[in-house]
Amino acid sequence: MMKRNAAPPTGPRNGSSTIRSKGGIQKRRNGPVRVDKDGDLDMEATNEKSKAGKGRLDAPSSSRGAKAGRGGNAQPRNSLVTQKAQQAILRGLSTDQASIRESRISKGNVYLKVDGLKSSKAASNPDGGIANLLSFLERKAKPVNPKSSKKVKIKKSSKDGDSVIITTSEEDSEAILKLNGFNFAGSDLAIQITTAPKLSSHGKKGEKKEVSDETKELQDKLKGILSSRYDTSLKLLNLSNLGADPGLIAIGIFNETTEDVSKLFPALMKVCDSIFTTKAQKREAIVSVSLADNSLANVSPVTTLAQTFPDLKNLDLSRNMLSDRRALEAWRWKFRKLENLVLTGNPIETSDPEYGPDLVRWFPQLQTLSGIQVRSPEEVAEIIEKAKSPIPIRGADFRDISQVAENFLRQFFTLYDTNRPQLAAAFYDNDSQHSISVNTAAPRGANNSVPTPPWADYIKHSRNLTKITHAPAKMARRHKGVEAIQKLWSTLPATRHPDILTQSEKYLADCHTLPGLPDPTGQSPYGVDGLIVTIHGEFEEDANSISGTSLRSFSRTFTLAPGAPGGPQIRVLNDVLLIRAWAPLATPTHVTTPPPLVNDQQKASIFAKLVEMTGMTPQYAELCLNDTAWNLEQAFVAFNNNKDKLPANAFLAPGTTLQGLMP
Amino acid sequence: MSNPSEDVEVKVASEGAQNFIDSYYAALNSTGARTGLTKFYIKPTPTAPAEADISMNGNVFANPSELQDLFEKQVTKAQYDVHSFDCQVINRNYNVGADESMLGPDKDGKKMSLLVLVSGAVKYGEDGDERGFTESFILVPNWDALGPKAPKGLKKFLVASQNFRILV
Repeated sequence: MMKRNAAPPTGPRNGSSTIRSKGGIQKRRNGPVRVDKDGDLDMEATNEKSKAGKGRLDAPSSSRGAKAGRGGNAQPRNSLVTQKAQQAILRGLSTDQASIRESRISKGNVYLKVDGLKSSKAASNPDGGIANLLSFLERKAKPVNPKSSKKVKIKKSSKDGDSVIITTSEEDSEAILKLNGFNFAGSDLAIQITTAPKLSSHGKKGEKKEVSDETKELQDKLKGILSSRYDTSLKLLNLSNLGADPGLIAIGIFNETTEDVSKLFPALMKVCDSIFTTKAQKREAIVSVSLADNSLANVSPVTTLAQTFPDLKNLDLSRNMLSDRRALEAWRWKFRKLENLVLTGNPIETSDPEYGPDLVRWFPQLQTLSGIQVRSPEEVAEIIEKAKSPIPIRGADFRDISQVAENFLRQFFTLYDTNRPQLAAAFYDNDSQHSISVNTAAPRGANNSVPTPPWADYIKHSRNLTKITHAPAKMARRHKGVEAIQKLWSTLPATRHPDILTQSEKYLADCHTLPGLPDPTGQSPYGVDGLIVTIHGEFEEDANSISGTSLRSFSRTFTLAPGAPGGPQIRVLNDVLLIRAWAPLATPTHVTTPPPLVNDQQKASIFAKLVEMTGMTPQYAELCLNDTAWNLEQAFVAFNNNKDKLPANAFLAPGTTLQGLMP
Repeated sequence: MSNPSEDVEVKVASEGAQNFIDSYYAALNSTGARTGLTKFYIKPTPTAPAEADISMNGNVFANPSELQDLFEKQVTKAQYDVHSFDCQVINRNYNVGADESMLGPDKDGKKMSLLVLVSGAVKYGEDGDERGFTESFILVPNWDALGPKAPKGLKKFLVASQNFRILV
């Protein structure tokens, strides 16, 4: 969209001749040309820097010269900027693009002021009669084009004193204006065009147009000023010393007083927002901003910078009036990507010299603060990584009691695949509840092209309560009691779950104890203890097979509790199943460190100790140690957990000494 | 007094779960509201001294303040989106932590404990990838919000157990 060959070689304002003829740029040329180069914003773009394409704020040198020659008249060194690059920078600064946007906005809506509601009978309604009035207008207004099937629509309404301001399309506004003088609930309506409700409640059509012309002209001027303050090669927007900008003074916004920054700045940011339509465009075009020499006592006049350029990497606040860290607090949660902040030449250096650590904390990627390195790039990389995955993923958090959950899971999936009636009889009773929900929108990870089999078999049972809102459906999709659960299972496709022992990597299970479960004997009002078990994994189906694969992923949470007399010993109270499209399980990023390899000599010593501690035979001791990776402590715990189950011949005859057994 | 009917049970449970999910994930998604994260959890009392059991990605948290701390200090930005949830009643007359005068059943379903299973997506940081998560909660009555003299506007259910996993 750039007309590369049309760029005048003199400046970045190609394509906006109006600005050049009457905007501030010409006047700025008459101002003093910035000569010193010892400051923070290095405008002298060398070729090397432009290649790097990175905005760059040089650290202030201690031998900084007089403040005098600085000022806002820093002119981009056009001679150093290639024409091509300028065009690239100014991609968005072309007026063509902006006018399209404007026309779209101004054509869109018309504001109408409706009077007469207050004296109508509807005014005593709870909402003041607005709803009645709006539906009256929509009903009575006849479309201007009688053939149109589109009904007149009021997009928005708001109250302004006793008047109601409504927003409609231009076409609809004509239809509604014809209702001027109509009688509504005993009152005559007065309808007229007005300006946007927030600007003013008075005004006529002509005035409104004038305002927008004026605004547009001002926006064009500001655009011109912005473009002259933009350095393509550095991707730097130099907003330093705005109060002395002849262009801004010429517009009349500035009376050479800096208080006006708070009025001007948001307008400048608005213009920037209109130039760049996406965050990515902004990030690409503007890496650095200088707000040096603006006499800022705090950042509130310029706080909108953070909304317009949230991804800024370099920010220069040199030589303002910032006297403590509170002056910057408005940006505490902003600029999450700021790498370089310059506060040199502010009173804060002497009045609040300990500001450093706080600012480092406020800006998580800050590397350089007023020329001093505060974080290494590696540290920042680590912070970024941590921000993307703040809760490290670890292996199972399986706090089982007497292997109840483990034994349950071992049997559950095998039985679910092979014999569901037996499963229901073994673990479910008449208090057991089961329901299935389907998340068809679950993320599947990058590069996952495994096809998803149709959902029909599950969707009809899905109790996803974000979608199922009617009470009867909620009731019907909750299956209570062995019979109901077994009935549901008989309608579901046959499944194949991976073997939980040999393919444990395909599962991830957590469990812990849970108090307050219903006591089936009714003896304890405070309930009984049980377990909550959540397991994530995958299964295959024979039905619904698509080209050989029919994988799905699931998460399933059980509450396990002591069963009632005569029923299963351990019963499932709740069984909530969630099914989603297949995706491989996220692998733990923080694997528990494998136990250090144990050499033979250490093994012999561990072995001897275990035999001595437990009285087990060498064969059993070795089995036990092999199971626990030769960790003496774990082996002893395992022994204690299982000693009741060990056969008598697992123990040495009393009086046997280890020495006699050693080869 | 009697236990709630099945209709009441299902209605109160799903509304309780919905309200909890709406406010809980909104709190995680807003950096400002995270300071109130501990208010979603049960507090130990002399009769029920246990803290909420919180396990996230296999990491066990000693108490809700530790979790809040993590969200305040480590999580610069988070966007949790709930795609689906389901909810079942565990105990219609839950009494852990209840005053002795309140041990009887409640027909309005105010004394139920609930199991909630949530599935959705989460993005951490500015450029984080969209990850799939599953999270289960045990919600139990907030005893401070029950009884005729209880202040209004308190959460009706509090988290007694939480199990979160990033899965994709």
